Amino acid sequence: MSDDGGLWLLAIGPTGAAALYWALYRFYRNTDKSHAFERETAVDAKPVTGSNDKVDKITGTRQTRIDGDNVAAYRKRVQRVE
Amino acid sequence: MSNTQGPPPLPPPPVPASPGPGSPQDVPPLPGELGVDPTTLPGPIRDELLAPDPQAIDTASDELKDGLNRCPKCGSTDIRQRAGTDLLICLYCRHEWRGERVEEAFGFGEGIDQLSGTVIASGARDIAADAASLMTFKCTGCGAEVTVNTDHAMTARCHWCRHVFGVNEQIPNGAVPDAVLPFHIKQDDAVARIRQFVDKRRLFALKAFKEQFTPENVVGVYLPYMIVDGNVSADVAGHGEVETRRYTRGNDKNKQTYYDADVYRIDRHVDFTVDDLPIESSATRGNLDTGTNTNNIINAILPFDTKNAVKWNASYLSGFTSEKRDRDVEQLRPRLEDQLLSIARAQVHASVARFDRGVRWEQERLAVHGTRWVAMYLPVWLYSYHQPGRNGGMLHYIAVNGRTGETMGSVPIQQWKLLSVALTVGTFLEGAALWFLAHAS
Repeated sequence: MSDDGGLWLLAIGPTGAAALYWALYRFYRNTDKSHAFERETAVDAKPVTGSNDKVDKITGTRQTRIDGDNVAAYRKRVQRVE
Repeated sequence: MSNTQGPPPLPPPPVPASPGPGSPQDVPPLPGELGVDPTTLPGPIRDELLAPDPQAIDTASDELKDGLNRCPKCGSTDIRQRAGTDLLICLYCRHEWRGERVEEAFGFGEGIDQLSGTVIASGARDIAADAASLMTFKCTGCGAEVTVNTDHAMTARCHWCRHVFGVNEQIPNGAVPDAVLPFHIKQDDAVARIRQFVDKRRLFALKAFKEQFTPENVVGVYLPYMIVDGNVSADVAGHGEVETRRYTRGNDKNKQTYYDADVYRIDRHVDFTVDDLPIESSATRGNLDTGTNTNNIINAILPFDTKNAVKWNASYLSGFTSEKRDRDVEQLRPRLEDQLLSIARAQVHASVARFDRGVRWEQERLAVHGTRWVAMYLPVWLYSYHQPGRNGGMLHYIAVNGRTGETMGSVPIQQWKLLSVALTVGTFLEGAALWFLAHAS
């Protein structure tokens, strides 16, 4: 067991308490619930079109995902182009 | 994104992200998703979490036909909806008949891909600035004057001769929509669903709430919605990354994983139509700020089977209360466009599956070719509880969809109880971690 591994373990207590609190809070108050219109609305879509252009290459990053990944955060608005 | 040549310095200890209380602005979790593994929790909490949810009932209804406020057989005005059905029944001669479905009557389900401009049904027109809530009828039976307050009810009975008056003409005060979706879930059923919902959440519920809990006080309310069809195109653009290599560096005690990736500039275009998207047309109900109210609970029981809505007939509202619309089409348009953009993002998701390190959308564009707006009353059983507190406290709702029986609610929490359990569990986990460290070193 290394020193940094030990420090990481010390976070278990507060993290576990916070996770249990928020999970039960959500179960009672359901603040995260809303109409899932993305899934539950009848949508008739034509095939998606578009392009992919390779513009860069990354080597040796430790990030597991792209910066600002919002592919599943449909309700987070980005710059609106008119 | 970074370009590094050698092993970088050691990172700070990773702390797992707290799931947080959530918000209606987040995409809601999938049904059955809890955010915590119930098997690791104490028995009583686990039992609450795992107890079955209320079952939705089958809402399929038969074809509906014409309906009038006067009984077509005997002319009586004492007409009600037959509970649990879309039928109207004359309480005088017991004759029964159905209202006509707006879907067939006005062709609301057709030609969505041909929609152009903004098509507004007559009941969805702008609300007149001088519109009043009180409407007075002169009783044709006895001459008395009968007043209906359209803020809360659409029918009233003459206190002298017992004629029933309904607000059946579309007056420009936003009270009379184009269509109404009658209640299918009976009050007894709604009471059972609310009781079951609360029974699953008793352990940490506010003591006063448990003591005063009387689900028999549930109220049937018709809430105002705009049902919108849309014909739109959307574009999104951003960057995505594809992993090309994964490797580890460092010695046995300090292994780190590194990634190489290709970065792509991505753009996507999609044309689509949406059918019957419901939007709250009351400013109060449309405010989904969970910090100040629990309206997201009512929003969460959507959608309704709006295809079965019938032409407006106030007789369906007899015995129920109603809320009036106070938002016009133009005021609701930003909300619609926001939801259409979200739908567009969901539609293009599958097309970027190859970008296994994710996609960062940076720009989006929406072109609304055409929309069709229909004002509709939708049936909701509402149980409410006012929790005293700062800034007027909080009004908690438990809502039951009057058609499908889908139930969602907000149960006030006994904070000290929940906090003490969370701290106890945290202390136990910390103790276990310390014990592990002491024995591992």
